[in-house]
Amino acid sequence: QTKVTGKVSDKASGNPLPGVTVYVKGTNRGTATDPTGSFTIQAKSGETLVFSFVGYDPQEAVVSSGAVNVQLAEKVGSLEEVVVTGYASQKKKDLTGAVAVVKVENITKQPTSQIANQLQGQVSGITIVGTGQPGQEPQVSVRGKNTFGNNTPLYIIDGVPISNLADVNPNDVQTMQVLKDAGAASIYGARAANGVIIITTKRGTGKVKVQYDGYYGTQRPQGGNPFHILNPQEQADLLWMATRNSTAAGSTPVFDDVLYGKGDKPVLPDYIYPEGAMEGDPRVDPSKYYLIPDYKDPGLLNSFYRINKANKQGTDWYHEIFKPAPITSHNISVAGGGDIGSYFFSMYYFNQQGTLTNTYNKRYAVRANSSFNITDHIRVGENMEYSIIQNPQIGILTEGSGIGMAFREQSIIPVYDIKGNYAGTWGGALGNARNPVAIQDRFGSTKALASRLLGSVYAEADIMKDFTLRTSFGGEIYSFNNHSFTYPEYENKENTSVNSYTETTGNGYDWTWTNTLSYHKKIARDHDLKVMIGTEAFQQVDRTLTGTTTNYFSFDPNFTSLSSGFGTPVNGSGYGSNTLFSLFGRVDYSFKDRYLLGALIRRDGSSRFGANNRYGNFPAVSAAWRISQEEFMKNITWLSDLKIRGGWGIMGNQINVDPANAFTTFTFNKATSFYDMTGSTSNLATGFMQGRIGNPNAKWESNTNSNIGIDATLFRGALEFSLDYYNKRIKDLLFNPELPGVYGAAAPPYANVAEMKNHGWDFSATGNIQLASKLKLTLTGTFTSYKNEILKISESAPYFERDTRRYGVAIIRNAVGHSISEFFGYQIDKFWDSQAEVDAANNAAKAKYPGLSEYQQAAAPGRFRYKDVNGDGKIDAQDRTYLGSPNPDFTYGLNIGLTYKNWDFSMFFYGVHGNKIWNQVRWWTDIYGSFNGAKSKTALYDSWLPDRKNAKAPIQELKPNFSTSDPPTSYYVENGSYLRAKNLMIGYTFPAYMLKRVGVEKFRIYAQAANLFTITKYTGLDPEITGNTDSFGIDEGAYPNQRQYLVGVTLNF
Amino acid sequence: SKNFLEKPAYSSLSEQIVANKDGVNYLLVGAYAALDGSGTPTSSLGGGNAWEAASTNWVYGSVAGGDAHKGSEGTDQTPINEIAIWQPNVANSFFNTKWRAVYEGVARCNNTLRLMAQAKDMSDADKLKVTAEARFLRGHYYFELKKMFNNVPYVTETTTDPLVPNDVDIWPNIEADFKFAQANLPPTQPQVARANKWAAQIYLAKTYLYQKKYADALPLFNDAIANGVTSNGLKYQLTDNFEDNFDASKKNNSESVFAIQMSANDGTNGIANANMGDMLNFPANFKCCGFYQPTFDLVNSYRVDDNGLPYLDDYNQHAVKSDMGIKATQPFTPDNGLVDPRLDWTVGRRGLPYHDWGYFAGSTWIRDQSQRYAGPFATKKMVYWNYNKDKYMDNNSWAPGTAINVLLIRFSDVLLMAAECAAETGDLGTAMGYVNQVRSRMKDHPEGWVHDYKDPANPIQGFDPAKPLPYYKIGLYTAFPDVTYARKAIRFERKLELAMEGHRFFDLSRWGIADQVLNAYFAFEGAITDDVKGGHFTKGRNEYFPIPQRQIDLTLKNGQPVLKQNNGY
Repeated sequence: QTKVTGKVSDKASGNPLPGVTVYVKGTNRGTATDPTGSFTIQAKSGETLVFSFVGYDPQEAVVSSGAVNVQLAEKVGSLEEVVVTGYASQKKKDLTGAVAVVKVENITKQPTSQIANQLQGQVSGITIVGTGQPGQEPQVSVRGKNTFGNNTPLYIIDGVPISNLADVNPNDVQTMQVLKDAGAASIYGARAANGVIIITTKRGTGKVKVQYDGYYGTQRPQGGNPFHILNPQEQADLLWMATRNSTAAGSTPVFDDVLYGKGDKPVLPDYIYPEGAMEGDPRVDPSKYYLIPDYKDPGLLNSFYRINKANKQGTDWYHEIFKPAPITSHNISVAGGGDIGSYFFSMYYFNQQGTLTNTYNKRYAVRANSSFNITDHIRVGENMEYSIIQNPQIGILTEGSGIGMAFREQSIIPVYDIKGNYAGTWGGALGNARNPVAIQDRFGSTKALASRLLGSVYAEADIMKDFTLRTSFGGEIYSFNNHSFTYPEYENKENTSVNSYTETTGNGYDWTWTNTLSYHKKIARDHDLKVMIGTEAFQQVDRTLTGTTTNYFSFDPNFTSLSSGFGTPVNGSGYGSNTLFSLFGRVDYSFKDRYLLGALIRRDGSSRFGANNRYGNFPAVSAAWRISQEEFMKNITWLSDLKIRGGWGIMGNQINVDPANAFTTFTFNKATSFYDMTGSTSNLATGFMQGRIGNPNAKWESNTNSNIGIDATLFRGALEFSLDYYNKRIKDLLFNPELPGVYGAAAPPYANVAEMKNHGWDFSATGNIQLASKLKLTLTGTFTSYKNEILKISESAPYFERDTRRYGVAIIRNAVGHSISEFFGYQIDKFWDSQAEVDAANNAAKAKYPGLSEYQQAAAPGRFRYKDVNGDGKIDAQDRTYLGSPNPDFTYGLNIGLTYKNWDFSMFFYGVHGNKIWNQVRWWTDIYGSFNGAKSKTALYDSWLPDRKNAKAPIQELKPNFSTSDPPTSYYVENGSYLRAKNLMIGYTFPAYMLKRVGVEKFRIYAQAANLFTITKYTGLDPEITGNTDSFGIDEGAYPNQRQYLVGVTLNF
Repeated sequence: SKNFLEKPAYSSLSEQIVANKDGVNYLLVGAYAALDGSGTPTSSLGGGNAWEAASTNWVYGSVAGGDAHKGSEGTDQTPINEIAIWQPNVANSFFNTKWRAVYEGVARCNNTLRLMAQAKDMSDADKLKVTAEARFLRGHYYFELKKMFNNVPYVTETTTDPLVPNDVDIWPNIEADFKFAQANLPPTQPQVARANKWAAQIYLAKTYLYQKKYADALPLFNDAIANGVTSNGLKYQLTDNFEDNFDASKKNNSESVFAIQMSANDGTNGIANANMGDMLNFPANFKCCGFYQPTFDLVNSYRVDDNGLPYLDDYNQHAVKSDMGIKATQPFTPDNGLVDPRLDWTVGRRGLPYHDWGYFAGSTWIRDQSQRYAGPFATKKMVYWNYNKDKYMDNNSWAPGTAINVLLIRFSDVLLMAAECAAETGDLGTAMGYVNQVRSRMKDHPEGWVHDYKDPANPIQGFDPAKPLPYYKIGLYTAFPDVTYARKAIRFERKLELAMEGHRFFDLSRWGIADQVLNAYFAFEGAITDDVKGGHFTKGRNEYFPIPQRQIDLTLKNGQPVLKQNNGY
C-alpha cells in the first residue's frame, strides 16, 4: 500500500474542485479534496478510485504509478437519464419521439391514492379532469380527444398493459413516461391512439434500505352556503314575488298557499306536514303518529300519520351531507440488491373517507419485485402487486344523487320528523326532491370489495455478442363484488316502496406474452445501431354475474342475500373475450451522436374485427438532429444541448369497438320482447328482437400523427425546456352513429365513418437556480393545449347530440366543424324590457310571416330575448347555436421548490383556461318556474323586475315557458377557467448527525395543505367538471375537490 | 393460430339460429311486445322516457285533443306544455321518442317476415299464419305513424336501404296489410293476445274511415257487428258494466276487439309490461304523479238535459260544479244536477267514490293543490282498484304499473265508427241505432253506474247496490233529423264514450274541425286554468305533428335530408 496523490479539476474551466469525494472501490477507505482540489489516499496499484461530486458525473480511475489527475464533467441536465419507451429504453438525449418524463418526486406529493390524479398539471400533453370522490378515476386524455368513446390512454406497467391505473400503489412508481406521438407510441399499434403511459416500479440496489412514508390529514368541505340557497322565509317571499309577477296586469294577485297562507306576506307554518298547520291545529296529534320506516307492504305508505315540523331557520342540506373527513396513508418498503440480483418489497394502507357521508376509498396492497442474475448473461425476474380495494362510489353530476338533491330539497324541510324518522317532500307542496341525508344514509348499505393481482415474469439472455433475447409473460387477474340494499322510502313525494337487494360480482383476467430480440452495435466510432423485433399475444376474458331480489322480511345486512328475499329473483350474467396478436419491429440509428433516426412498424390482428379487415399496420418514422453537437455550435457555451425532433406515423384504436360488432344478433328481454300472450296478467311468453346490426366490414381507424419538437438544455442544465407542436388526423374513425328510427332500435354498429383532428402545443421547462449558498430554487412548468375539431360524423348526419336532462332537447351537440362536446341552445341577447318591445317584435314578425302569432314563443317583459342567429326575423329551433366548449384552450402547471439548509418548501399550482361549464344547478335554483324546489339568492335578489331591469336572472314566475326555462340557453354557460393551489408543503429533514445514534438514515417531517385555494369566476361548487368523452362539462352538483390539511413523515433506515 | 383471433358474439343469437319455425314465432311474439312501446327500465323502445311513447297516446290523442290537461305541476314534463297549446317545437323529444318506438314495432314485424323467408322447417300454412299476424301488426304500427305524422317513410322486410323519402301516401300500404290479415287470419286464436280475422276486418274498415271511404268501410263494420267474435271466441257485444273495459280482472271480454295485454308482477322487477307509458297518470296521492287531469270542457260535456241527452252545442253553458279553488279541508258539496253516468267512470271528482279508494278528497289528491294549473279533476279509467291491487298493480318502480289492458279498439268504438259511416252515407236510421246501442248499455244497466259505498269508512268493501247516487241520467236519441245533426251527435258520443282513451285529437283532425273545436276549447278552458292559456290551433298545419327534427337530420344523403318536414313546421 502506498500513498497516492492527485488533483481534481473541472473539465470545462480547468478550475480545481474542492470537496470531491474520493474512495477506493470495494473498501471503506475514503477522503475528500482540499480547497486546491488535491487529495491524498492509501491505495495499491491496480485498485480503482471513485470520484464523485454533486452535480458532476462520477468517474473512476485505476491506480498505477504516479499522481492520479482527474477532470470531472458537470452533469448536463437530464440528458443522460434513461427513459423507458416501448419494449426498449433510451437515453433522453437519444429520443426522437415525443416522450414526456414525469418527475416522480413531484407527483407523489399529491395526497391521493390515484396516480392519474397526481399527474394533473405535472406533465405536458396530458389533460386530466378529476372529481373529489375518493377513488374515482379521472378523465385522462393525451393530446386531446381522439374518439367519441373511451379516450383513456394505454397504461403499461413493467411491460404489461393493464385495464386501469386506479389500483396501482403510487408509492411504488420508479419512473413514468408518456409516449405522445406516433414516433414513440406506434410501437403499441392498435392501442396507441389515445397515448401510452409507461410505468416502471421500484427495484432495489445496494444494501438493505427500509423506508416508511406516512401521512394523516383532514379534508374540509367548503363553508358558507355553496349553492346560495334561500332560507325558508326568503323561499316563501320568492313564491309571493313569482305570484305577483304571474298576475296579469290590472288584476290583483291572489295569494293562497297551502303552507304560507293567504296574506300579503307569506307566513311560515309551524308544520309542513300536515301542510300549513300551526301549533294547536287538530290535524297535528302526536298521539296518532304512525310510521314504520322499515315497512314491507307498499300499501302501508298511504296509511302513515306523519308530523313534520317546519325548520324555520332552514336546514343546511349541503353541510348535512358534507362533513370533515380524515385521510390516512402508510407505506413501508424494503429494498436491496447486489451482484446476484435485487428485491423490492412494499406494503401499503390507504384510507380516505369522503367528505360526502358514506363514501370512502380503502386500499391495501403488497408488492414484491425481484430479479436474479443467474449468470453474467442470463437474468430472470418478476414484478407483482396484490391489492384489495373497498370503494363504493355514487353516481355524480346526475339529478338523482344526494348532491343533486342538496340544492333541490327546500330549506324549510327538517332532516327528521318529530320522532326522528326522515322528513321530506311528502304532501306535495314542496316539490318532489328527495331527502339528501336519507339518500346518503341508505347508500351506506352499498359495499364494494375488489382485488387484483397484477404482475409479470421475465427472462433475458444475452446471446452471442450484441444480441439480447427477452421473453415476458404478465397480466392481471381480478375479481369484485358489489352489493347494496334499496330501502323503502316514505318521506318523499315520490317513494320507492319495494325493498330490494342487488349483488353484482365479476372476475376476469388478461395476459400478454411478449418476445423480443434486440441487437445493439456500435460500428466504428460514429455509428450506433439498435434493432428490435418482437411478437406479442394478448387475451382478455371477463365474466359478470348480477342478481336482484325483492321483498325482504328483515333488512338486517346479515340476513339479506339474493336467496333470502321473497320476491322472484332476477339474475343475469355476461361473458366476453377478445384477443390481439401482433408483430413489431423498430430500428434506431445514430451517427456521431448527432443525427438520429428511428423507424418502427407494428402489425396487429384483433378479434374485434371481422375476417375481412382483421389486420392493420401501424408504421412510424422519426428523426432528430442534435445541432449543439455540430462543430459550429460548440463554442456557444450557454447552450449545452439543442435538439430538433420530427416524427410521423399512424396509430390505431380498437377499444371502443364492441367485440360483437361484426355480427347481426338477436336477443330477448322479459321487459322488452316478452309478452303476455294469454292475458294471464303475469305469465310472459318468450319473444325475440334484434339486438345488434352487424358490420363485418369495420376496419382499423388510422390516426395519422405528425410532431415537431425542440429540446434544449441551457446554462449547463440550469434550464431545460421542451417544446412540441403536433397534428393528429383521425380518419376512418370508428363510431356508432345513431341510426334513423326506420332501422329499429337494435344497437347500431361501429363503422369507419367519422373523422376528427387535433393539434396543439406541449411545453415544459425546468430551472434550477442557486439563489444563495444553501438556498436552491427549482421551478418546473408545463403547458398543454389541444384544439379538437370534428370533421365528419357519418354519411347521413352532420351531428349527434347528448345529454337531454330536463329540457327535452339535448344540451350537447357534437357537430362537424366544432370541437367535441360543445354546448348548444339559444343565445340570450338581453331581457325583454317592456311590453312595447315585445309588441314591436311581434308586429314585425307578423308582417313578414302571415300566420305567425309571435316573434318568439312566450316573449314577455323580464324574460329572455334570444338572438335571431339566422337573421330570419323570427325565433325558432333554427336559431339555436353553439354556446361554448368545455375543452380548455390550455392547461398549465407550476411547481416551485425551495430548499434552505434542512428545510424544504414546495408549492404546486394548476390552472385551466378558456373552457366553459354548463351550470345545470342554476336551472334548478335560479328560475322559480323551472321546477318546484329550493331556489337561490339570485332568484330572489337579482332577478328581473320592472324596477330592477339590470338583473342577472329572468323574471320569477310560477310557470315555465319557452322564453325562460324550457330550452337550453346561454344562461347556464359559465367561464370555467381556474387557478388552483393544488399543493403547499413545508418539510424539515433532521441533520444526519442527530440520527446516526439511533440508526436512522433520514427523517423528514412535513406539513401540507392540498387544494388550499382556487381562483375562479365559476359560481358552482368546483370548476373541475368531468363527464364522458363526448359529453362533459355539465355540472349538476359536482363532488368537489376539498381542501386538505396533512402532516407526514418519511423515515429511512 | 388463426383461431386465436376468431371470437363469436357471446350470449346472442345469429340469424341462422333464429331462422326456423320456433325462432320466427318468438320474433312474432316480440313484434306483439312492441305494442306497448316500452323498454327497460323506464324508457321507450329506442330510448326516451316511457311516457313519451305511451301506447295510450294520452299526450297526442287526449291532451292535444282537449280531453285532458297535462296535469301535475307546470314545471314537470314541460315538453308536453307546448303540445297541449299546439305550439309544438320540431325539436321536441316526445315526437322523436314516439317515432322511434313505433318504428321499432315496424322493424320487429319486418324481421319476423325476413327471417321467416329463410326458415326451412315451416310449412306454407305456418308461414301464412305468421305473415298474417305480422302484417296485421305492421298495419297497426303504420296506422299510428300515419295518423300522427301523415308523411312517413315506408320500409318493409325487403327494403335494403331504409333511407326512403316520406313523400308517398302510405294509406294503400296500410290497407294492403290489413286486407291480407283479414283474408288470412283465423276467426279465433289459441292465445287471446293474437289478432284475429275480425280485428283485421275492423282495422281495415277504420283505415277506410280515416280516408273518408265510408261506403267501403260500412259493410265491413256491419258484418263485424253482426257476426264478429273476439280472438277468444266471444261474440262481440258491449259489456253490461262500462267499467269492465278498464278493470284488469275483466280483461279480454266480449268488447275487446284488439287490446295490448298488460301484465303486472311478471318477474321483471319492473313495470315495463304494466302500461309504463301511463306511469305518471295517477292522482297525486297515489305513488305518483298527478298527471293527466280531465278538463272542465270534458266534464261539462257529460251534463244531460231532462231527457238524459247531452247539450251538443252549449254544454259549457251548463257547467258541472267543481271544487276549483276550494281546499280539501274546506267543505264542498258535489254538483247535484244530472250527468251522464259515464262521467264518474271517466273522471275523478271531489266527493264522489273513486273506485274503492274512498271519496275523491279534492285538492290533496291534486299535485298542484291550488288547482290553478290544471284544474281539480283526476284521471280514472286506467287506475287500478284497491281490493285487487296485489295482483293487478305493480309496485316495482317509483310510479305504479297496472295490468289494465290498453284497448286499441273496443266494440263501442266499432259501433260509433259504423254509425259515422252510416250517417255519412245517408243512412241516418242505422246511424242512430248504433249510437243508441252504445247509450243503451248505460241506460239498461244502472247497476253498472257508480254507487255509494257499503261502508264509507271502509271503501274497499265496495259499492252498495242499494245505494245509487242521485246524479245520473242517460237517454236515447229519438231522431236524427239531418246529417248535420247526426254528425254532431255521433261525434259527441265518441267524445263521451271514448274520452281519455287517446282518440280525441285524431278524430278532430280527420273530421277537419280541430281548429274550431280546439280554439274554442283554448278560449274556454284557458280562462279557468293556467296551462292552456294562449293556446292556438292553426288550420292547415297542426292537423299533424311535426316530423321529428332529429329524424330529418339523421337522414342526409349527399348532404340533403331524405325526409321532408310537414307543411307549416
